[in-house]
Amino acid sequence: MEKVLIANRGEIALRILEACREEGLQVVTVHSQAEKEALHVRLSPESVCIGPPPPAKSYLNVGAILAAAELTGADAVHPGYGFLSENPDFAEACRDLGLTFIGPPPEVLRRCGDKVEARRYAQRAGVPVLPGSPPLHTKEELLRWASELGYPLLLKAVSGGGGRGIRLVRDEAELLEGFTRAQREAKSSFGNQALYLERYIPSPRHVEVQVLADSQGHIVHWGTRDCTVQRRYQKVVEESPAPGLSEDMRRRLGAAAVKVAEAVGLVGVGTVEFLVDGESFYFIEINPRIQVEHPVSEVRVGRNLIREQLRIAQGEPLGYQQEQIEFWGWAMEVRINAEDPEHDFLPSTGKVHIHSLPGGMGVRLDTHIYQGMEVLPYYDPLLAKVITFGETREETRVRMYSALRRLEISGVKTNKELLLDIISHPEFAQAKHATDLLDRLTHHQ
Amino acid sequence: MSFDIEFIRKLCALLREEGLSELTLVDGERRLTLRREGGPAPPPSREARPEEAEEEGHLIRSPLVGTFWRRPEPDAPPFVEVGDRVEEGQVLCIIESMKVMNEIRSDKSGVIQEILVEDGAPVEYGQPLFRIAPS
Repeated sequence: MEKVLIANRGEIALRILEACREEGLQVVTVHSQAEKEALHVRLSPESVCIGPPPPAKSYLNVGAILAAAELTGADAVHPGYGFLSENPDFAEACRDLGLTFIGPPPEVLRRCGDKVEARRYAQRAGVPVLPGSPPLHTKEELLRWASELGYPLLLKAVSGGGGRGIRLVRDEAELLEGFTRAQREAKSSFGNQALYLERYIPSPRHVEVQVLADSQGHIVHWGTRDCTVQRRYQKVVEESPAPGLSEDMRRRLGAAAVKVAEAVGLVGVGTVEFLVDGESFYFIEINPRIQVEHPVSEVRVGRNLIREQLRIAQGEPLGYQQEQIEFWGWAMEVRINAEDPEHDFLPSTGKVHIHSLPGGMGVRLDTHIYQGMEVLPYYDPLLAKVITFGETREETRVRMYSALRRLEISGVKTNKELLLDIISHPEFAQAKHATDLLDRLTHHQ
Repeated sequence: MSFDIEFIRKLCALLREEGLSELTLVDGERRLTLRREGGPAPPPSREARPEEAEEEGHLIRSPLVGTFWRRPEPDAPPFVEVGDRVEEGQVLCIIESMKVMNEIRSDKSGVIQEILVEDGAPVEYGQPLFRIAPS
């Protein structure tokens, strides 16, 4: 592996670019017509325009990306997160062309992408899963399974992910009403209309475990992350370690995550997600790619996850055992999004004006924004990730509050005030919050 | 609304802060336009092609990423030369992408003024290939 094509944009494209530089690898980036001035383009020695602004025609355009790799002599592709990162057909196309796809093989992506299949693998590995149904296609099947499992239930898309394609149903009426619409949504969003049911736990903690697997089959985990603060099943605040868990529970989750990674045949990095309800935990899904929230694990372990990905892709062994990993202190991450809190958090577009940015001890800022940058309607509204770390959770939490206070951006609306509300909320301060905290805060406004 | 000097000063600041180049306020009969020379320095562009905007003519741009070929086969004559008259729909070149030869056709009738890419060179999406004087 000598030259990596980065098939992504925004902060993650920058992160990968810089990790490649540290690894001594050459880089080529790609961009849409709307992003010729983007930081990842300006900072890379070579960049290819691959299509018009809409992602479907640029960052998701497999043909254009592969052609760009061929033309520039790249021998590897890093897909980042989102876009093509979990697309088995893309991984397969790379393999067919002799390009190293920096991620698991296509078969593993296929396995993890089918949420019902992934549950089956976890179950076979002896990891508990939430009671649920197989893929359902008719209303009759749906009703039979719903009455067997008992309400409330989650109706989920088999090919869903990233918090999309999930709806809560409390009774038969809601189920029947939601079914047709959910099928249509699943078909248009994921190209597969199959749905399944899963038992709903009202106030769970959402805990995930970072795992790494080298091509020799050696697997370690980098501890737990808690992403209980969610909005519409999307993560807003993430912290590591997961608070309020006993050492024993953390150890059990770590071991279960390694078992799942082994069962699906993971190579590279991944995140295994669980719901924790008291002393019980249930596997929900495994994401076989780098995740937006990966920095909170990095700062505690003191290693660079993207560089680990690059090394694993080159066939290098991890080179350390689980027992050798030392976890330091506490870490938190928030996503600063360009969205309008007064209009149901719809994406906010405009020209970014930067007045002040977070910094100082224990603060890390991962961002691609620059003065005068145009926030476009085509892409994810993520502007920046603010990561703070400290010796204790409380120090880290207060540090996050200070970091957010320092953040002053105009030109686009952001979720900063909402994040400050969460960080300073007594329930969050005591880590007694559940997944509904954010909904309560936003409805309160 | 009174157009006093303090108010105008505030508007000037707003113009600067928001990176606007012009601002017009209308209040009944009165009308105030503030215009700023220059504006914020644009970030350096690696792909600025000033000739694109400044010169006359119609540009044929590459609809995909690939390799630019002027001939149907290595030994064949080029599809078009500078000075040739072309009709709308006529093949101008081939863009090879992922081993597939894609014929690129003219979307205007006119005369080829300039061929902007070397034979065999890589091209990106939207890159100008030909300049045509429409007629």
